[in-house]
Amino acid sequence: MTLAIRQARYLVLTLLAVVPLAGCNIGKGPDFSIVSGSENTVLQPIVEEFCKQKNAACTFKYEGTLDIGLALQSEAGVSQDAVWPASSVWVEMFDTRRRVKNLTSIAQTPVTLGVRKSKAQALGWIGRDVFMKDILTAVNSGSLKFLMTSATQSNSGASAYLAMLSSALGNKPVIEPGDLKDKTVQDTVKALLSGVERSSGSSGWLADLYVDQARRGTLYDAMWNYEAVLKETNDKLAGIGQQDPLYAIYPADGVAVADSPIGFVDHGRGAEVQAFFNDLLAYLRTPDIQKRIAATGRRIPLADVAATPEPLWNFDPKRLVTAIRMPEPAVIGEALTLYQAALRKPSLTALCLDFSGSMSGDGVTQLKQAMRFLLTPAEASRVLVQWSPADRIIVIPFDGSVRRSLTGSGDPLEQEGLLNAVLGEQPGGGTNMYACAAEAMRQIGATKGLSNYLPAVVIMTDGKSDDESRRFISQWAATQPHVPVFGITFGDADKTQLDSLAEATSARVFNGGSDLAAAFRTARGYN
Amino acid sequence: MAISRRAFGVGLLATGVAGTGGYFAVKDRPELQGLLGNRTTLTGFIGGEKEAFLADPDVIRALGSRGLTVQSRVAGSVEMVREQALLSQNPQFLWPSSSIMVDIGRQNGVKIRNDRVVLNTPVVVYSWQPVADGLMKAGLVTRTGEGHYQLDLKALLDAILAGTDWSKLDVNMLYGRARIISTDPNRSNSGFMFAGLALSLLSGNLATSESLAEFGPKAQAIFRNMGFKSPSSGKLFEQYLAGGIGGEPMIVGYENQLVEWILADRARWDRIMAGAGAKPVVLYPRPTVYSAHPLIVIDEAANRLVDALTTPALQQLAWEKHGFRGPLGTPAGNASGAVAGLLPADVDAVLPMPDAGTMLTLLDLLAR
Repeated sequence: MTLAIRQARYLVLTLLAVVPLAGCNIGKGPDFSIVSGSENTVLQPIVEEFCKQKNAACTFKYEGTLDIGLALQSEAGVSQDAVWPASSVWVEMFDTRRRVKNLTSIAQTPVTLGVRKSKAQALGWIGRDVFMKDILTAVNSGSLKFLMTSATQSNSGASAYLAMLSSALGNKPVIEPGDLKDKTVQDTVKALLSGVERSSGSSGWLADLYVDQARRGTLYDAMWNYEAVLKETNDKLAGIGQQDPLYAIYPADGVAVADSPIGFVDHGRGAEVQAFFNDLLAYLRTPDIQKRIAATGRRIPLADVAATPEPLWNFDPKRLVTAIRMPEPAVIGEALTLYQAALRKPSLTALCLDFSGSMSGDGVTQLKQAMRFLLTPAEASRVLVQWSPADRIIVIPFDGSVRRSLTGSGDPLEQEGLLNAVLGEQPGGGTNMYACAAEAMRQIGATKGLSNYLPAVVIMTDGKSDDESRRFISQWAATQPHVPVFGITFGDADKTQLDSLAEATSARVFNGGSDLAAAFRTARGYN
Repeated sequence: MAISRRAFGVGLLATGVAGTGGYFAVKDRPELQGLLGNRTTLTGFIGGEKEAFLADPDVIRALGSRGLTVQSRVAGSVEMVREQALLSQNPQFLWPSSSIMVDIGRQNGVKIRNDRVVLNTPVVVYSWQPVADGLMKAGLVTRTGEGHYQLDLKALLDAILAGTDWSKLDVNMLYGRARIISTDPNRSNSGFMFAGLALSLLSGNLATSESLAEFGPKAQAIFRNMGFKSPSSGKLFEQYLAGGIGGEPMIVGYENQLVEWILADRARWDRIMAGAGAKPVVLYPRPTVYSAHPLIVIDEAANRLVDALTTPALQQLAWEKHGFRGPLGTPAGNASGAVAGLLPADVDAVLPMPDAGTMLTLLDLLAR
């Protein structure tokens, strides 16, 4: 599956949210919706079979950990009948109103570092214990970079990050409140995170990115992801004839293990819905189904079923891994804030904002609202997407051409300056997003110490642009580093141009149709 | 006045009154309420360890025949008697897992109409065979003549406080320091009881408020080392089973939890016993504490639930299918084949819990 198709699927699932998957015979099984972490995509067919048996219409929506958590915490709650996040820790943290019932772990999967085998060989990591300090040495010497999801948006990134913190604390049983203030700990983890080459808000998307790049002939060094997702990725790599799999490194000083729990959210739709959920749970625990779940590389400790070990990439789901102890929720919260505010690799983000004539009225109002959210620390920090003073922000309002270009850091005062400039813009003129993207690229390329940043271009547009895609793409291809160009659509925008731009630059398009601020927030998780 | 009304009903039946009289007779007999379709739905919070019991179709049927439908949501025992976010939802009953919760609830202004202990179960430690084998070698675990494991909890706590590695306790397959995890004592009862037990063991005697100054910090260190603590016993037990020996080498739970889990799917248990993986093991701390499960009535209507749960039928279901001992710690009926021999008939070394005042001070200390 190409990234574009997978993207399209994500979009369909995310945006429309309602995709009937089984027969629609009226009066049989109930309609049943599940919101899940993207790593469970591979389990969807197994659930669908059950829905089919019950003649129920099941729908899936894939969201990041934080999205599921925030929804659980909100007044309205989640709208789905079941939640299936990567780890129960987030349910404990966010479900303060105890809406989730029968939360049950379906499988376990540790978050590990998959390293391109030839790279692992070069680092001398094959067949020996590798500790987090070895990873740090490799990052510091410039010989290792990795993909990792945003710790504040996605469980796999948060897990890798917590394992880094635990290791930096030495042989302590668990991270305690005061520990995060330790300068040495902060410096160590910051140095580890400087190894991030690409980030995202979704573990599944990150794995797709890895395969997609491999298909185009580029192999990233490494990726933090679930053991099971590494297996999925390696299967895909083998499928495209790639001989260099991701070799699983389990830091010997401890990794975080995801427990993939599914839980019921009662919306008072009657006993039939609750019974359906109970039956689904029972189905997922039958030996045959457990065998199939285990075949995906997931661990089911007491079931005595496991995928066949694959020594080629160091995979053995029966091998004991040392699990780090999860800290208290308050400590996790503190750690995530620290990540976003200080330890993550700084971002260099160019925001291309469409101020063409068609944006008049609601369009401009909503765009300005979204910018107010994104550039107001108190608001952005509520959902952990705030900028840090180390970030660089480029704001480029455009219409038929680039209007002007503003730069600032994530310092609150500079954010305010950028915001005021955006608020002063009025709609008018034609639309040429490529002109803006080219200007953004030029400015990113001219940034001092570019390798210290995670660069990205984000284009927000509502309409069809003058088509200069061919010229832009060839220019993009000739420029290093390759900066991903994300898109945020607005209104009834023609998505095709943004889609092909995102596909060509290994990025993603987000739908800002109903909630532009939410779309910007999600996009921030990728940068 | 359920009893006299029931007697009245029986009386009417006995004299053979038919028609309207018969209708009233049935109406007033709790065990026949379900026949008339006038059901009472009761909502409340329960400790997670009782979730499966209340979800059991036999239990639902037995309650249903008495006209009762129970809608429960899981919450920690401690939080359900203290948290305004939960109490403001106007539960009709609370079913925590320790008698002290009745006092604590009362102190927090919960309007308690009635309370009665309906079930009992001792606090145990769940671990895995390889861990138990190692600890036996290290002398922390012994095996009784009947094959039950006893744990020298005091010695284990001392080892944890000293930062002892698993390997030093002859548990060589685990990396890092020895640890035992309980639920959050400020929210859930098994953690709460474990805190009381730990404080008593560390003090060398039943803990009192005087013990706190000297031994409170040690108890605090034990709990700090746990990191994230689940808010409910049921969830922690699931975490233990799902996490396996690597994720959860040792947890605190209730005796009935494993029984219930075995009985819920015997074939699964047989597969585990026959399989190659590490097997769950129950360790009885010596001494341990008993967890009583008092049903707290807030809305008068919930008195009917107390009556129902103390009937022989439901007591027998509680023991035979869910491993709960009766109000006095004795089994009601026979445990079936799958768990025969798994549980000792009685647990002799039992310590009382420290008093509510000591426990509340300890809770504050552990919340810091």
